[in-house]
Amino acid sequence: MAGKKILMKAEKISKYYRMGEVEVRALEDASFEIYDGEFVVILGPSGSGKSTLLNIIGGMDVPSGGNVFFRNDEITLYDDNKLTMYRRNRVGFVFQFYNLMANLTARENVELASEICEDPLEVDMVMGEVNLDDRMDHFPSQMSGGEQQRVAIARAVAKNPDILLCDEPTGALDFKTGLSILSLLDKVNKKHGKTVMIITHNAAIADMADRVIKMRSGRIISDKYNEQPIPPERIVW
Amino acid sequence: MKKFNLRLYRHIMKAKGQFVAVSMVVAVGIMSYVAISLAVMDLEVGAQKYYELNNFQDLSVELMKINESGIERIRRMPRVESVQGRVFFKTPLEVEDKDEKVNVGISSIPEAENRINDLYILKGGWIQDGRRDVLVLEQFAEARGIEVGDVVHPQIGGKEYELDVKGIVGSPEHIYLMEDEQNLLPQPSKYGIFYVSEEFAQQAFGYSKSYNEVLIKLKNPEEDGIFKDELEKELERYGVQRIIRREDHMSDRIVAEEIRGAKQMANVIPMVFLGVAAAIIAIMISRMVKNDRTSIGVLKAIGYRNRDILMHYAKHAFIIGAIGSLIGVFVGYLLSGPMANLYQEFYRIPFKVRIFSWNYLGMGFLLSAIYCIGAGLWGARSILGIMPAESMRPEPPKKIGKTYIQKITFIWKHISFSWKVVWRNVFRSRKRFVFLSVGIAVTFATALMPAHMLNVFEAMFYDQYGEFMRMDYEIAYTKPLSEQSVMEIRELVDVKGIEGKIEFPFEIENGWKSKVVSVIGLKPDTEFYNLAGSDGGILSLSPDGMLISEPMAYILDIEKGDIVNVKNFIPFKDDVRIKVDGVVKQSLGLNAYMDIDFMQGKLLDEGMITGVMIDSTDRVKEKMEDVKNVSSVNSLEDLKNIFKEFTKLTYAGLSVYALFAGIIGFAIVYNSTMMSINERRLEFSSLRIMGFSKKEINRIVLKENLIMTGFGILLGIPLGRWLMELLQTSFQTEFYTMTAPIEKNSYIYAAGLTVFYVLLAQYFSSHKIKRLDFIEALKNRIT
Repeated sequence: MAGKKILMKAEKISKYYRMGEVEVRALEDASFEIYDGEFVVILGPSGSGKSTLLNIIGGMDVPSGGNVFFRNDEITLYDDNKLTMYRRNRVGFVFQFYNLMANLTARENVELASEICEDPLEVDMVMGEVNLDDRMDHFPSQMSGGEQQRVAIARAVAKNPDILLCDEPTGALDFKTGLSILSLLDKVNKKHGKTVMIITHNAAIADMADRVIKMRSGRIISDKYNEQPIPPERIVW
Repeated sequence: MKKFNLRLYRHIMKAKGQFVAVSMVVAVGIMSYVAISLAVMDLEVGAQKYYELNNFQDLSVELMKINESGIERIRRMPRVESVQGRVFFKTPLEVEDKDEKVNVGISSIPEAENRINDLYILKGGWIQDGRRDVLVLEQFAEARGIEVGDVVHPQIGGKEYELDVKGIVGSPEHIYLMEDEQNLLPQPSKYGIFYVSEEFAQQAFGYSKSYNEVLIKLKNPEEDGIFKDELEKELERYGVQRIIRREDHMSDRIVAEEIRGAKQMANVIPMVFLGVAAAIIAIMISRMVKNDRTSIGVLKAIGYRNRDILMHYAKHAFIIGAIGSLIGVFVGYLLSGPMANLYQEFYRIPFKVRIFSWNYLGMGFLLSAIYCIGAGLWGARSILGIMPAESMRPEPPKKIGKTYIQKITFIWKHISFSWKVVWRNVFRSRKRFVFLSVGIAVTFATALMPAHMLNVFEAMFYDQYGEFMRMDYEIAYTKPLSEQSVMEIRELVDVKGIEGKIEFPFEIENGWKSKVVSVIGLKPDTEFYNLAGSDGGILSLSPDGMLISEPMAYILDIEKGDIVNVKNFIPFKDDVRIKVDGVVKQSLGLNAYMDIDFMQGKLLDEGMITGVMIDSTDRVKEKMEDVKNVSSVNSLEDLKNIFKEFTKLTYAGLSVYALFAGIIGFAIVYNSTMMSINERRLEFSSLRIMGFSKKEINRIVLKENLIMTGFGILLGIPLGRWLMELLQTSFQTEFYTMTAPIEKNSYIYAAGLTVFYVLLAQYFSSHKIKRLDFIEALKNRIT
């Protein structure tokens, strides 16, 4: 991709688990590059290894083989402390089930993440961006699923990370709410220039991506650019 | 506040009941440590200061008679710093109630400066008129309501004297006042000390320019052992009866024993409480970490380090410890004041010593911090193993097989569904089962202590004054008399049985150990002493041996068959080596028993006795009132009554232990139940949907707790027995041995108290089930 800097690069990464006598190959020889400001969708059925891939590039898991680079640094050589700093300052996570702290309000959940970062964004501004100005002092149990996911996105964005890694962000939401979350992620990508990577089994979401990486049985089976990404509002599933 | 800390704060506030319960356990442990340590330090320093200020003796000597030149000989001994002779005798005191026998020790006090055992004037002033002024020891004055200006009437040699009370005084020699070793409890209204001028005492007792006691201060008090031997030789000609070193001085020894015991308590109690608190905290935090698995994963994904998260949970434990120890240190410090006052009033130290020591307060904080943070880190250690990616996935269901009870199909088929839930859970949550059972066992064992100790004291005193000593009255003479005196008493009082006896102090040596004890001479076929061995078999007094009491065997490490040396201080009488024929089962007192004829021949004079024992329903006290040479008439009933008074006081002390047991039991059961309810929200919600009422679910939890309580109590029985044995060994002093078996009633009492605490904890935790929103619990995925 001419003119764009490589943000992340994976070289032949693999991940094996041992479950009793059986060796499970969750990921095998996966290689790809992610560029600054891209909106990437990793598409695959469940068990295809996409979550494993996301966890490895997010520094939440270590591969059994291969190398992962963030800009020019090889994160697969990082010790536990460096990996933590990488997660703290470079990566923002959005989970399928939001995973908010139940005893903190929406705003406090966002601050929980922002207050340990090197260069966080203004929390009020971020809360405004996700349209939660009037719900800031609510606890997760007082919010709908969509609202909770917005808080989760705000939590990830407020850290001002280089990349947003979203694991099935609409998986627990209804269609309409799901679309609003996709619009928000699109806005984060387009307006704030953040690289966004979504992993999903929902093929419809791939239509809004700049690039779609397809996976099956732990392998990347295709890695294609989407010449004409459509706005999230036009997605139907 | 950092949001991470805010999360912690809200966590604590949500489970404040649990938090408070554990903090209380810490607080009680630290409170006991601080209060006892500070109060004991005040007592120790106070006594030391009193001894220094008032020049307390290093040694004292009781002898037949010593004149001024004898005193001068002692003064010239190289190790001696100062020496002082005194005249000391016990005599009866005339009191209003003719039935009451009251004795006083009349002690001479010199005019000279730098007096040894100097007096502390509390009221009034010093002796003005040496012929009729008297200073009265405060304990006695207080007990009998004697004031400055009153007139007292001691009887000396059959003659009644009229003395004016010029002052009420304290003495370093009588911080704790007891007439002799045979009286284990002080009776300040029955025995006191009068201080008179040397001139008066010497004249009244016929000791012109001489004394019957010597007080000595050494240049180096640590040399008292060597000096004692030197002194013995030096004073051979003066008929030395007893040389008492500081460590053998009754009042000082009792204070030292109290200090030693209290220090031991100050160390043991906090260890028990902090140990229990640490166990609860470790389990609480480990369950919390298990429940927070996903949250911990999220925190790690956000960028929190392992040590941040570890410290987050350790902080939880630390705050419990900090709040507990703050309360403990504060209340402990407040309590130490009244406790020190009680000590200083019970042990008469005339001035208040309050020492503030940061050391104990700091140690209180440090102890709780070490225990709580240690427990917190231990409980939270699994955080290190949580991988953020892994923690996002739901935990695979546990592999669960049939529980033991399910395998007994015959029983399993016949129990109801709710009982099945109960039994299955009891056997499945093994860690909880072990924790709760051990906790209940500790509660039970602690609750057993007050009940048993009371039984032990009762058994000890009733054995001593009912089983062991069987006379109705004991009459003691002011001086040894001939056996003829038995006949005289028989004529005066209508008796069913009467025997003369000798009771005389001798120093018994076994190797390097030695002790001055009361040796009692009795008729071999005595009816008044039940000389039985620990197996209950009767031991007979042989014509050439001796029997010894259990406390004496313990202190001097003597066994049956050993040969001991009996040191004889009486002029022209040699030391005698005597074989110990057996050990008498006797809980109280250091005593040796000999055939009266053998004792008279070998140690004293033929035909001499020091008192009589009688069986009589006659008005003995009244009839003995004016009898010459009688120093005291004690009925066994009097001694039992003193004990009853003592047990009333003991009840208050022991009830504190019952409360301690309650705090431990409550904290363990309450926390464990709250944790269990929290973790089983899904299970209880499912039961609610199946149609179980909140009451029924509460009943399930109660049944589980009661089953575990049952196991805990069973486990607590051997634990309690072990603890009581340990306690009996550590309480074994030279004054008494405790060997009473644990009574059935003590077990019942302890079990009842334990169940009560369990029910109380159950009551307080039941609100958690009442408030359980089962629909929310079933759909909830937020962490």
